[in-house]
Amino acid sequence: MVSLTASPSTRLRRLLLKLGESLLAVVIGLIGGAILMLLYGYDVGVAYSALFRGAFGDVSGLLETLAFATPLIMTGLTFGVGLRAGLFNVGAEGQMYLGAIGAIMVGSMLRMPPLIHLVTATVFAMFMGALWSLPTAFLKIYRGVHEVVSTIMLNWVAFWLVTYLITYQLADPTRAERALPVQETARYAVIGSSLTMVFPVVIALALVTFFIIWRTTVGYELRIVGYNVEAAKYTGISISKSILTSFIIGGLLAGLAGASQVLGRPPHWTVFATMGNLINLGFEGIGVSLIGRNHPIGIIFASIFYGGLLHGGRFMEFEAGVASELVRAINGIIIIALAVPGALQTFRQLVRRRGRGGEV
Amino acid sequence: MDVKGLTRTEAVLAALLVVALIAAGVGWIQTGQVRTETMTKTVTTTVGGAAQTITVTNTVTSTSTVERIIAPGTIKIAVVSDIGGRGDLSFNDMAFKGGDEAVRDFGVEMVELISKTEADYVPNLETAARDPNVKLIVGVGFLLSEALLEVAQKYPDKNFAGIDTFTQSLAVGNLGKPLPNMLDIVYEEHKGSAVVGALGCLVAAAYNEAGGNYPYIGGVFGIEIPVLWKFEIGYKWGCDWGLKWYEQRFGKKAPIIGEDSRYGSGPGWANGLYCPAAGECWYKGRVLWTYTGTFSDITKGYAAAKPMYEQGAIAVYNIAGPLGLGINQAVQEIATERNLANGPPFWIGVDANQDWINPGFVIASMMKRVDRGVYYATLLTVIGKFRDVVAESNGVLTLGIGTRVGRLAMEGISVSTLADLDEFIQMGVEAEKLTGKQVLPMPPEQIRQKVTEMRSRVPSWVWDALTELESKIRTGQVDVPMVLTKEAVDSWREKLG
Repeated sequence: MVSLTASPSTRLRRLLLKLGESLLAVVIGLIGGAILMLLYGYDVGVAYSALFRGAFGDVSGLLETLAFATPLIMTGLTFGVGLRAGLFNVGAEGQMYLGAIGAIMVGSMLRMPPLIHLVTATVFAMFMGALWSLPTAFLKIYRGVHEVVSTIMLNWVAFWLVTYLITYQLADPTRAERALPVQETARYAVIGSSLTMVFPVVIALALVTFFIIWRTTVGYELRIVGYNVEAAKYTGISISKSILTSFIIGGLLAGLAGASQVLGRPPHWTVFATMGNLINLGFEGIGVSLIGRNHPIGIIFASIFYGGLLHGGRFMEFEAGVASELVRAINGIIIIALAVPGALQTFRQLVRRRGRGGEV
Repeated sequence: MDVKGLTRTEAVLAALLVVALIAAGVGWIQTGQVRTETMTKTVTTTVGGAAQTITVTNTVTSTSTVERIIAPGTIKIAVVSDIGGRGDLSFNDMAFKGGDEAVRDFGVEMVELISKTEADYVPNLETAARDPNVKLIVGVGFLLSEALLEVAQKYPDKNFAGIDTFTQSLAVGNLGKPLPNMLDIVYEEHKGSAVVGALGCLVAAAYNEAGGNYPYIGGVFGIEIPVLWKFEIGYKWGCDWGLKWYEQRFGKKAPIIGEDSRYGSGPGWANGLYCPAAGECWYKGRVLWTYTGTFSDITKGYAAAKPMYEQGAIAVYNIAGPLGLGINQAVQEIATERNLANGPPFWIGVDANQDWINPGFVIASMMKRVDRGVYYATLLTVIGKFRDVVAESNGVLTLGIGTRVGRLAMEGISVSTLADLDEFIQMGVEAEKLTGKQVLPMPPEQIRQKVTEMRSRVPSWVWDALTELESKIRTGQVDVPMVLTKEAVDSWREKLG
């Protein structure tokens, strides 16, 4: 099972197996949601048909779904890439906040020609995201601090830092509730509904990540570290370099997730002091990554599915009267059902690795 | 350097953590809520069946009969909340209450959409606009201004209304002209602030008569943005009006707050009054005021209010949203220290009826009737006058004291009464059911009793004065200054302190 290269037929079988597991989880989740709705006396048929027609049934719904999927693809990959290197990087949330604030700094405060402004703001946002992942990486490499602990702590530091910056340094003087919106020169063109050109950029970066992880030496080493640290060390792979690479890639992607909500999401083009338009996008990425089996392509599709739930939920509320809280509960059941096989598999791997490696 | 693998315990914890994080992320723990019941009520039909007649009983003044253009099929209205959502006991709950009343009176159907994040505004408005039966979409709160501009442009055949929004000024800025299908509903906060300003200073006068020593009232403001100047100057102006009313009614100056010379001296000052020109005198300096520079840091509300009470402010007006909780904390501290069951000290609520937050210590609230806004927008839609009103008013409907649209009195500003209190307690009871958290500080009957007791301690002439001020504002006999510019605010601060 745990080989890095396999014959095409084995690979296909493994792919189908994973796909089947994910689909099964979707079905279980939907059934769970249906039971919940029946308990509260809602019409399940109307609700689900509203959900899926709303999210995928027409062009404008689909565009909106993709807009909700956009940041999740990036934060999902942050977690996914971390897991490939054997890391539980749950720091996408904080890195995404920093990315958003970086986008505001360049997008709102500086004046530049159109395209250059957009590119600079995007790159700077990604840089900020990566910067915020470095403390975790160094703590892990030099002090052995577990990344779950440090990322969760740093998420809160990021939260309050960004709250401070929005409230006192980057506030819109006429609109106390938000940071200065980015200038028109730093906005991604709108494709339709809430979807902008940031979506193709995100897809492209997901594919680049796929290429790096599966088609380059750096990615190969990173995956070996993820499979078996001892073996990696034995073959002369620099563990710390792989860890650092994984965190930096994750940080760059999370930074773009934050930027996508600022530079690529009408009509506000800014961050609110409550950070309501950012909160949880990082954590939701974890679920998305598990559904997508921590694979870039899988994560793209999982994000679109989850984005569909986020957008389609309002149609359940609107057409079937399902309370919005129940919509979230149903989303939750689906995510849990989807996550369980992924989590179990990860768990099994970790247990097996420990059993095999002894004092690894 | 040595990287250790996970131990078994770590692995179990990590796996659990992931599940917990996802659970937290999607908020699956939240329980559901009962669906809103909508019911259709038949309205009296006139002969011929070409038109229907609806009788609208206005809460404030008039009963008028208007023609209803028959709309085929059911009329639906949609109310889209901001991220506060249901159970906020303020804007959103009030908006849905207005919608419920419209359902009851006009036989429309209401659909609710709750926004969970700012990213939900546009899709929520659009979801509602796409339903062919929905004729009116109401966005609650100024945060939806941009989203309303975007969606209202896209659906020109639908009516859009926004509570406290400034969509039309955005439209003028971006498109050069207002939208024909969008109504910003705004409120005359300066008038309401004037009434509670008068209340504050007259309560001080009343307690000083009984041997108290309250030379001031106070105001805690948020960030100094032009909108808040309306509140500030209205409040100060109201205090001045109240003290002048007292002078006329009792033939003497109000004790301490009216007569003392502590407020200033030098050129222009005479007997505690500031007279910049002959025949024009003002009770200057009676209001202690602070702009805290924040709408979220509750501790600053406390820090601003505490010294005001120490200097003898009888009541402090909350014009900084959640900072009211900080003001309340300062009041509670004094109450505990001196073992008080009732104010003074008091504070004054804003936007919603906040009298229930600390019963006996909130003298009254300046209420923006968001519910009326939703109700009137629905009414205008049902009688087919929505577009006309938009065209006549450039898309901005102002609700306040004495505001009218055609023959209909449409008001939206009032000072809280005991009757309002019951509505809000009911809202609190529902919010408790909805969130499963305790919202009300004590059982409803006890709140009612404490507030009634507090109000009865204030002499009736104070309440008479307020009624007089309200009716004079309504008839145009007095004109509360509405301040929107820096020059105006400076000139009023020169007069009133």
